[in-house]
Amino acid sequence: MKILIRTLTSLFLAVVLLLTFAVPAWAFCGFYVGGADAKIFNESSQVIIAHQDDKTILTMANDFQGAVKDFALVVPVPVAIKREQVNIGDKEVIKKLDAFSQPRLVEYTDENPCETKESAVIQRRDQLSDVAGSRNTTAQRAAPRDLGVTIEDSFNVKEYEILILSAKESDGLETWLRVNGYQIPKGASEVLDPYIRQKMKFFVAKINLKEFKSTGLDALRPLQIAYQSPKFMLPIRLGMLNAKGEQDLVAYILSPKGQVEVANYRTVKVPTGNEIPEFVKEDFGKFYKSTFQRSYEQENKKVAFLEYAWDVSNCDPCSTTPPTSEELRKAGVFWENNSNDAIIVPRRGRRFVPSSNTFITRLHVRYARAQFAEDLVFQETSNRDNFQGRYVMNHPYRGTLTCSAAQGYVKKVADRQQQEAQNLAKLTGWNIADITKRIQPLTAFKPTSSGNEPFWPWK
Amino acid sequence: MIKSLDPRVYQIGFLGLFLLVGIGARDWSLQPMVVATAIIGCAVNQLIAKSIFQPKENPLPSLQSSLITSLGLALLLRTNHPTTMLLAATVAIWSKFLFRWDDKHFFNPANIGIVAVVTLTGDAWVSPGQWGEDWLYFLMFLAAGSLVLKKVGRWDTSVAFLASYAAMEAARSIYLGWTWDVWAHKMMSGSLLMFALFMVTDPRSIPNARSARLVWSVVIAGATFILRNYYYVPSAVFYALFIMSPLTLILDAIWSAPKFSWEKLRPFTFNKTKLEA
Repeated sequence: MKILIRTLTSLFLAVVLLLTFAVPAWAFCGFYVGGADAKIFNESSQVIIAHQDDKTILTMANDFQGAVKDFALVVPVPVAIKREQVNIGDKEVIKKLDAFSQPRLVEYTDENPCETKESAVIQRRDQLSDVAGSRNTTAQRAAPRDLGVTIEDSFNVKEYEILILSAKESDGLETWLRVNGYQIPKGASEVLDPYIRQKMKFFVAKINLKEFKSTGLDALRPLQIAYQSPKFMLPIRLGMLNAKGEQDLVAYILSPKGQVEVANYRTVKVPTGNEIPEFVKEDFGKFYKSTFQRSYEQENKKVAFLEYAWDVSNCDPCSTTPPTSEELRKAGVFWENNSNDAIIVPRRGRRFVPSSNTFITRLHVRYARAQFAEDLVFQETSNRDNFQGRYVMNHPYRGTLTCSAAQGYVKKVADRQQQEAQNLAKLTGWNIADITKRIQPLTAFKPTSSGNEPFWPWK
Repeated sequence: MIKSLDPRVYQIGFLGLFLLVGIGARDWSLQPMVVATAIIGCAVNQLIAKSIFQPKENPLPSLQSSLITSLGLALLLRTNHPTTMLLAATVAIWSKFLFRWDDKHFFNPANIGIVAVVTLTGDAWVSPGQWGEDWLYFLMFLAAGSLVLKKVGRWDTSVAFLASYAAMEAARSIYLGWTWDVWAHKMMSGSLLMFALFMVTDPRSIPNARSARLVWSVVIAGATFILRNYYYVPSAVFYALFIMSPLTLILDAIWSAPKFSWEKLRPFTFNKTKLEA
């Protein structure tokens, strides 16, 4: 009998406990006003990874700031890459995916509390533009020498001169790269060694100046490589060598299956759905930067952040139109994408939500050597839940209030503003007193319904 | 009074605690319906299967085992659909009655449930990174795990698994020239520790004799190591355990020892040898 009671009690308790926690639910609506693109973060790299089964197309953006002749890139790759597996990507596509998936600010305007039927008109605001970013290494010229390094392949793709190297010893590879003019940071051989021993190859690129001039472009175009390997990872250890401190990586991962998460670190959602004061609109980028930094510190600097996860064929609210099939193809989508190109940007109310077999996950990883010892390993999941970093701004009704309900409304707005100030302080770590100073209270309230008001029109 | 408590009660308590910690502090977005489906699905299946296969026994005590299985599923298996979780619960419970040899089941129920739905439905996944690599969680699992394992007497299995896996990863780290923090990062994974303390030690489905268990743990560690590092399977531990589970039968045949029974652990019921699934 005792066992029976104990069993039933524990069963019951477990069910009750589990049913009482609520998953936060909110309606994805509101109007998009602005976003925080990847450009606001210094030292940031952006990559697009299109992945299905064991096939990967990796697009690396280059916004190399120095002289083009100094540009060089060394990326460990799981398999040897041939000429036909390399392509020049489109920078605009990275911009597009950034704009499509960036954390966003949405706004609501209160209706006049004295009018119940008419609703206030809300204007959709303009969108922020954005520019891609990248990480890179620098190079000079010198003569080659045999140091246990094999040039598996060497070819040119437009303005890029590409070498596929394999090596026996990291010291040899480091020396080879140095002799050949690649300025490898100190300590590189220690990091290169594990890649060599895992039989990985090195994708090395520098610029053919003549070709570059003939393109007439003033910036480098992204490099795109396709390979087949069960390794679904991104090497970040090499990049940590030449960075001074923390680096940001924004990865747009496209998959026909669903969300992609990091398998060897925690993947944490950025804060979302928070109501924040109106003035944040003036500098949403600064707000998001502080919010991200604070979350990063709260998670002890060792997690990957999920900023966006959505079916690419729709969005709500949209920061820009969903990428077209052509744009997705340029981003590396090699599976048949059935998304509808004639997409209607969703608005309020009932609507048809298009769906496709391409899902985008935007992961933002801020990493430093001390916290990220291992390269990032990804895994696809069948999770098609939508997620976005979304922050809400409420505009009070600032017209003349002429009814008794107004008193209550003014109080309600004051309370809400107080709460919004607290939310902002909590999210960003900004001083609450400074925040409160910047909030514009609702003072326009003049009770006009007492019956003693002047009736003349020039009052 | 406390001494007479079934170790399964501790296990239920700890797994329930981990679930709440995961939801509260580790940013898990579990659907209450999916979790409830795991608990109810396992319990109902347990009662039905028990009434068919062992109609003469009181089915109620075995609900503790089904609750452990369901909490294991809720902690490890991720899906957005309750039906997928129901399938996992059904496979888990029925495996105890269908895959039997010499009156002993040899698949870990939660494990076979997870492997079945992840491979067959394409609608479920396991998040190996979900616990992170914090000391706090490491200590929490260690404290809870050692308490339960001390009662069940299966600490040898956890230690053998973790030690052999750590040694293999260390050897690989040295060979590749990785710094030690890479190894530490791999070993500090909360998911690995939870598996080592709470799944690989299930006394009912693993070998009975200590020597057999030691061999078994090392084999599973080896399979995990190979799947993870050479086949790049992020949730390698679950597949390793699944593939190696039938080995229990062979190991039991080589090293004979009395079968594990929850009843035997309790004082005053010493002579009862009947097994419950």
